[in-house]
Amino acid sequence: MEKFIDNLIRQFESGALGRREFCQMLGIATAVYAAGGAEANAAPASRGFKGLGVNHVSYVCADYTKARDFYSTMFGMQVVNDKGKGRANLAFGPAPDKGGNFLVVHNPGANPPKPSEAVIDHVAYTVSNWDEGKVRGALKARGFDAPTGRNGSLHVYDPYDYDIQICNAVEENAFRREGR
Amino acid sequence: MESFYAAKIDAFAKGKISRRALLETLTAAVTTTAAVATPASAAAPDPALKIALVNHISYNCPDFRKAADWYSKVFNLDQIGASKIDVALPFGKRGEKPFGVTANDVPLTSIIIRTRDLNAPAQGGTEPRRKSRALVEHMGYTVADFDREKAKVELKALGVENVRDGGLYSLHMTDAFGYDVQISGIANNALTDGA
Repeated sequence: MEKFIDNLIRQFESGALGRREFCQMLGIATAVYAAGGAEANAAPASRGFKGLGVNHVSYVCADYTKARDFYSTMFGMQVVNDKGKGRANLAFGPAPDKGGNFLVVHNPGANPPKPSEAVIDHVAYTVSNWDEGKVRGALKARGFDAPTGRNGSLHVYDPYDYDIQICNAVEENAFRREGR
Repeated sequence: MESFYAAKIDAFAKGKISRRALLETLTAAVTTTAAVATPASAAAPDPALKIALVNHISYNCPDFRKAADWYSKVFNLDQIGASKIDVALPFGKRGEKPFGVTANDVPLTSIIIRTRDLNAPAQGGTEPRRKSRALVEHMGYTVADFDREKAKVELKALGVENVRDGGLYSLHMTDAFGYDVQISGIANNALTDGA
């Protein structure tokens, strides 16, 4: 922690970090330290990086408010940093500064992304305490009468026809694939 | 607590305390405050559909083996259960919990890397997959011990292309198929991103 704060002071001294940012970073450091994040972050990787997981999914659509309202009301994602300027963060999972994920929904920017040969064709989300009847009932109540997939792993489309999968830990777990 | 930090940095800026005193005071404050900090309250949930974490990202490209090797190399991920069309790369080892998660029914997040026909029906469906009018234009991943300048050196050593700054807390790059990837530490989160 001392090394981290020493680096922050250095950035403050050089002008790379303002007073407000300095204090915010210390606030985050306090929260991370409380969560045991220092230990988790300290795990070494011999080459490359130790990947901890997804930080965020950057999702672009014609009207971010439509996506914002869908994901927040449908899946309980928390709206953060929505300044009415074409983007919002939708937080879920652990607290934002303790390993939580977020979906950034935003309108197209002035500089569209360069074409890629790859595409993220869907994003799957884990629902904890999965109850098949309640999940299907909740989907039906929101107009999703016939999700595809199977028990424990269902697909629906969002308002922009983007494929969403919701699932439980039994049906969707990478280690189920071992030995297949 | 931030007002305490502000007072100390102001005192340092005015020469009232030394750099060493500042460092020791802040280190003690962060670690002792953390010891008594309480968890943040959870957001109001939807009881049946409340999302706990990303389960997996489904990444489709012309050669899944090439992409999988890129992600394994950069993020130190194992490749699990390769088939003729896909492979899964979980962020951790069997038995580990996702970073920051305590629940027992939330598995490690994975990237499932595929080479498949996107016009084919989605799992369990009969109709062709719809053409989405939205796009996941980049993915952000969290890495341990993120230091932007050291990360640039490491990425260069790994042969990663198009590395560029993504604000104070992150870097962007392109993967083996030109897809935009962002890496950061947990300082880049829903509260700080776009703030």
